[in-house]
Amino acid sequence: MYGDLGNKLVQQAKRTQNLAHLPPYQTELVRAVTREVRDLDKDVNALLEPFQGSFHPTDDQAVACTLLVNHLSMRRNKRCLLAYHHTRTDRLEELVWKGYDVVDLAGQQGRDGSANTSGPSNTVNSDRSMSNLSPQEEDYVRQYSDLLAAYKGQWTDIDLTGSLEPPRDLFIDVRVLKDAGEIQTEYGQFYVRQGDVERLIAQGYLQKLS
Amino acid sequence: MSYYDIDAILTDAEKVPCKFELDIPELGYLDNNPSQPLKSGTTIGLPLWLAELLALANRAPSSADEDAKSFVSLNMPASLSSEVMSALKADPRAVPLRDQSHNFYGLGTRMLDLFEEKEMCAILRRTFVTRAADIALHAGKAGATDDMGVGAGEEFLRGLEEWERKLFKKSHDGAKGTKEWMEGVKKH
Repeated sequence: MYGDLGNKLVQQAKRTQNLAHLPPYQTELVRAVTREVRDLDKDVNALLEPFQGSFHPTDDQAVACTLLVNHLSMRRNKRCLLAYHHTRTDRLEELVWKGYDVVDLAGQQGRDGSANTSGPSNTVNSDRSMSNLSPQEEDYVRQYSDLLAAYKGQWTDIDLTGSLEPPRDLFIDVRVLKDAGEIQTEYGQFYVRQGDVERLIAQGYLQKLS
Repeated sequence: MSYYDIDAILTDAEKVPCKFELDIPELGYLDNNPSQPLKSGTTIGLPLWLAELLALANRAPSSADEDAKSFVSLNMPASLSSEVMSALKADPRAVPLRDQSHNFYGLGTRMLDLFEEKEMCAILRRTFVTRAADIALHAGKAGATDDMGVGAGEEFLRGLEEWERKLFKKSHDGAKGTKEWMEGVKKH
């Protein structure tokens, strides 16, 4: 029945809400639902064609009811599609606020999905087809990041996305996990001020030693 | 209720029995029979998003036509039948609401918007209050032993519908949070 596919999509969104990571984008399902809307629209036009623009619902109740069912099915599908994407973009915005790198993130999630087949190799990182995001979503994240950066740029002395937990020590020891090029902080390279390297820890370049 | 609310959308997919009031040639597929016209008097379970507006549309006489009634007449779904209501009246805790509907209260609220059922409204309210107390109890216990309350209340917890599950989770997180905070206070 019409609307069943849309329902599947919303069940995916429900699942997404309870998952820690973002599951792969349902390209096929989204395409099928939009196709259904197009078919419904075609049906509506075919139904209305013999009336030549002079259709009166009260004269032909059966056709009026069919049109209403078609219209409601399209509206339902629209809501399902929007809600599915809204759930995902909500999650993406959350990730951007947390300071994840989108390219990095896409690679990371691809690795999560194929944990059994490939080891922690860096080749997966560059493989764009492993991404759980649709191309539009990647674009969205990129633009949203730019927006957030521009917003944050207004305040130079406060980090809006910084940790809300007060640090126990001003300085911490760190271990380098990934090569991030040469980074000099005001105080040194391994014993550093926490505030200076928070971002690098969040991005996974450094590990905090307790 | 937001337009994007996933639970509201899923509640909208719950099926309600509808009796069609007129013959419609094109809608046979709703009754799994696309080649045949849909006969007047046929009862089919339709999702709320379709059923509600089919029942409401045309009800206001848009013309002077005396035929101004709705396309379908709605009935109460089985999950809100009088049997379920009497079971809830007897003991709200003994009924696994999840088996009736995953969005039991959501469905109930939507149906009560359409039907004037004072008694059902009272029963549902009492059911929620009684069960909520039990949910809070189980959630608190789960926080203390850290095994999510597996054991005595397992049967009851399996029967929770979506809203109750959320309540359980909130209650559980709350109890856990309080416990952690209390321990932190003691340390300093």
